[in-house]
Amino acid sequence: MEVLLIDKGTYSKSSLRRRRIIIKGKKTAIIIVWVLVILALLVGALLTGSAEKHETIKEVMRDAVLHDSNQISFFGIINVNPAFISAVVVSATLLVAAAIIRIFVIPKFKIIPGRFQLLLEQLVKFFMDFAEKNSPHRNRFLGAYIFGAGMYIFVGTIFELFGFQAVTTKGHPVALPAPLSDINGAITMGCLSYLVVISGGIAGNGPKGILRALKDFSMPLSMSFRLFGALLSGVLVTELLYYYLQLSFGLPVVAGVLFTLLHALVQTYVLIMLTSSSYGEVSEPHKKVKSNA
Amino acid sequence: MNLPLNIDLQQILLHLLNFAVLSFGLYLLLYNPIKKFIKKREDYYRDLDNKAEEKLKKAEELESAYKKRLENVESEIKEIRAKAAEETKQATDALLENAREQAAKIVSQAREAAQKEREKILENAQKEIASMAVAAAEKLLSQSATDTLDQFLLSVKKE
Repeated sequence: MEVLLIDKGTYSKSSLRRRRIIIKGKKTAIIIVWVLVILALLVGALLTGSAEKHETIKEVMRDAVLHDSNQISFFGIINVNPAFISAVVVSATLLVAAAIIRIFVIPKFKIIPGRFQLLLEQLVKFFMDFAEKNSPHRNRFLGAYIFGAGMYIFVGTIFELFGFQAVTTKGHPVALPAPLSDINGAITMGCLSYLVVISGGIAGNGPKGILRALKDFSMPLSMSFRLFGALLSGVLVTELLYYYLQLSFGLPVVAGVLFTLLHALVQTYVLIMLTSSSYGEVSEPHKKVKSNA
Repeated sequence: MNLPLNIDLQQILLHLLNFAVLSFGLYLLLYNPIKKFIKKREDYYRDLDNKAEEKLKKAEELESAYKKRLENVESEIKEIRAKAAEETKQATDALLENAREQAAKIVSQAREAAQKEREKILENAQKEIASMAVAAAEKLLSQSATDTLDQFLLSVKKE
């Protein structure tokens, strides 16, 4: 388009029209080739059929919830659920990316930011402001915590989209799920968030803060199971879609990508919002009101 | 210990360790440096803002000082004008007075001179009249008879 605009001054109207027709022709050819490739893949997939299933859909679903059969050896030290491998991969990826950004990008930060700098600053500022808004009295630690938790939940949830494969101890391939689709990972986040809230209570109001935080005793349970339920539903839907070949075309775009992106955002927001508001509530210093009577 | 839903304490602790490492790493590598930079930028702009405010304040102070000075200059000009007018008036009055005095002096001198001239003229005229009278008398005496004079003298004597 830009080329055409530039060329307008130098080419005559007829040559411009010819160029437009050529470009339009090229675009049509690309679309036709793309559709043919898709059709070829579809025919190929249908002709070859799905690989021999070593588990029924019932077993797959059961294992997605309980992780009692498919375990992966963690460097030969211990057998762990696939979600823990996902957690380690997500953490390693995030840490490596953070280290690269720290070494190569942050030292070149400018007062007037570029696009990537703006993106990073907005990301950090979002969590900073979130912590400040929900807990105006004490928010330094909270900001750092919700930043870590938010990044972990969001990237961890997106991670399941890639469908990285790992081999179980039984030798079967298994797609790595979101870290928090494992009940153990979800319980960790829920309980840790509650501990953070309690620590805010202690820091803000001393021992009385613990009592204030204890009134929300159901919080770790609700947080854990909310996360687990939300992310497990994503895993189950994806497993179901990919288990049957007929459902694997077109549907995953909506059911997989869009739903995963949406619940990654929603779950991140819900956890940091609940943690921040509870933290703000318990860490708010309470002054004794002197009655006039 | 078998917990429902295959909850495994060991794996919970592993997840906890993993998340602790991740959040600490992210804090050190991303959150803290970017937060510091944001604060640095805020400080930079606050500093700029303060400097601009300070300059504005100084400019306002200068403006008010100049305005005040201008107002003073106007009143000073007025004072100087009034003073000059007063001085001019005084000088004019003095000149006029001086001129009047000189004029009066000239007039009185002229009067005095005129008086002296008159007196001198009168004196001269008297002298002339006297000499003329004497001359006339001598002439009469020389022309008239001595009898008449004698008779006259005798009449005066009888009386």
